[in-house]
Amino acid sequence: MTDRATEEQNRQTAETMIRLENLSKVFPGQDEPAVDDLSMEIYEGEIVVLVGPSGCGKTTTMKMINRIIEPTSGKIFLEGEDVTKANPDNLRRRIGYVIQQIGLFPHMTIADNIATVPRMLGWDKKRISDRVDELLETVGIDPSYRERYPKELSGGQRQRIGVARAMAADPPVMLMDEPFGAVDPITRDRLQDEFLRLQGEIRKTIVFVTHDIDEAIKMGDRIAILKQHSKIAQYDTPERILTNPADEFVQDFIGSGPSIKRLSLSRISDIETADWPVARLTDGHQHVREKVQNSSRDYVLLLDDRDQPRRWVSIEDIEHGDIPLEETGWPAVAIVEANSSLYNTLDTMITSYKGSAIVVDEEGRYQGVVDFETVLEVINAMRPPEQERHMRPPEQEQPRERTERDLRAGGGGP
Amino acid sequence: MTTLQKASREGPGGAARLLRYLGMPIFLGLACLALYLYISSKELDSIEQRNINAEVIIQQTARLVQLAAVSTVIVVILAVTAGILLTRPLTRRVTPAIVGIANIGQAVPSIGLLALFALTWDFGFWPAIVALVAYSFLSILRNTMVGLQQVDRSTIEAARGMGMTKMAVLFRIELPLAVPIILAGVRTALIINVGTATLGTFIGAGGLGEMINNALRLGRYDTVLIVGSGLVAILALFIDWLGSVAEDILRPRGL
Repeated sequence: MTDRATEEQNRQTAETMIRLENLSKVFPGQDEPAVDDLSMEIYEGEIVVLVGPSGCGKTTTMKMINRIIEPTSGKIFLEGEDVTKANPDNLRRRIGYVIQQIGLFPHMTIADNIATVPRMLGWDKKRISDRVDELLETVGIDPSYRERYPKELSGGQRQRIGVARAMAADPPVMLMDEPFGAVDPITRDRLQDEFLRLQGEIRKTIVFVTHDIDEAIKMGDRIAILKQHSKIAQYDTPERILTNPADEFVQDFIGSGPSIKRLSLSRISDIETADWPVARLTDGHQHVREKVQNSSRDYVLLLDDRDQPRRWVSIEDIEHGDIPLEETGWPAVAIVEANSSLYNTLDTMITSYKGSAIVVDEEGRYQGVVDFETVLEVINAMRPPEQERHMRPPEQEQPRERTERDLRAGGGGP
Repeated sequence: MTTLQKASREGPGGAARLLRYLGMPIFLGLACLALYLYISSKELDSIEQRNINAEVIIQQTARLVQLAAVSTVIVVILAVTAGILLTRPLTRRVTPAIVGIANIGQAVPSIGLLALFALTWDFGFWPAIVALVAYSFLSILRNTMVGLQQVDRSTIEAARGMGMTKMAVLFRIELPLAVPIILAGVRTALIINVGTATLGTFIGAGGLGEMINNALRLGRYDTVLIVGSGLVAILALFIDWLGSVAEDILRPRGL
């Protein structure tokens, strides 16, 4: 949680990257404006999610930033410069653009797709080629895919290439229109995690459009919840939107279980992992026994030579000294990555055998153990003071099952 | 030829593809040989000798190829350009009118179109070319328009969103992606033009049609007519084969 707090402070002092001033759009032949007098500021290095029901004008709003849709009135500022009347082609080369359908060029190789903007900017061949390799690595695609064509790739891979292509010329700003909307839920989850990890390194200013409040909560540093005509219902951090919804519309849009949703906001890396005795598969039985005896725990975690957790072993398990360590105890399941949310961790714990989860890094190396008590403490800290809690509607303390179903349903009204 | 080799190497069925590339020319070669052997076995009278000899055959075949090739080149340039212009947002209003006119060109029977140009203008090579262009204009125009319209809107939006100019989008995205469909139209136009060019003889444009026409008038059905119509058929099949090879080579990879 402390990380988020400092991030927030940084944002207060951060430069404004995009400023929209009284932006409106009326499509020809329509009486009602799609976007009506919208003003907002987006700071450098943050992900701002525009979220709202379909037809609320969130995509139109985003597309006015790179002027794929020209505003009827109002002004757009990028890095302090009024770009409302600037050459749109030059403007767009400074803004990465990822759309739901990805729009890779099917007749061009992966390398050529990625090289699109650098070529337009007149980079030399060597620099483009190096950049393509670098980006493929960044998005986790093997460089041997360079000369392949989009149709030879899976949906998730295409999406990664789409992101790489948008980042090719290192634009300070990226616009993403439901970028993970067209892939299956499992791939989507992984792409979201990857993207957040990537954003941790690149720190782009990102405007992200989605209709899915859960995705918004997961991805956004700040979320703008939009009503019809792109009227801002609330523009704030996910925490504050979940704890303090501005009005009934926001409350309805968040759906039920906002408290459980807040668990998605904290990562395990934000909390303290418990101290746990570990030993190696190669250690002798005697050594392992001593480890358990010298600690306050009943069992010890065995790691293999690559530091990956393999087995839980209790003192009784090694009483029978004849069984090799790889086969004693029970397998180390319930493993979560350090950047997983508490929501996922809790879920893993509930289904695990011993009610604790092993934390590993990206390569699967052991980092620590989180037990149920630690997570409960965090949850306790999140709870509002007694007095306030009594005023909350009872529906927010629904059993977990119901909440999860609602989450999956995409967070519609209760 | 390297592109051809590359194309035949990739993907499954390399042998089947090779057979498709070589099968037709081998078949047509055999057909020519059969025609030659058939005529050699016949006693030809003087009329037949005047109509079937190397010089006449080469001259008339060359003329037919010339008619088909020149008209096709012209119609490709005109109809593809028109197809591009008519799919731009600015011209949306005049599009139905132009397509309507092109429709008339194809709706009129080809022989009527030839006669029309001969009567209102002149006899000879160029009036025939103009008639052929008018007659095959629609097939290329329509395929160009369909080819450009079927390009995925999201692909174009992505290109525009990355800062490609409209021209760059047209030449680097839309046209390459429309090439397979445009080429199918060109191939159709070529076939139409070979067939129609045979009728060019009636307005003095020459070609193998002359041989067929002579055979019919002079009643030399089992010799001159067979050679004339046989050669036209072989030529049409050969040009169609060229078209199919061109389609394979020019189709962008990755589609």
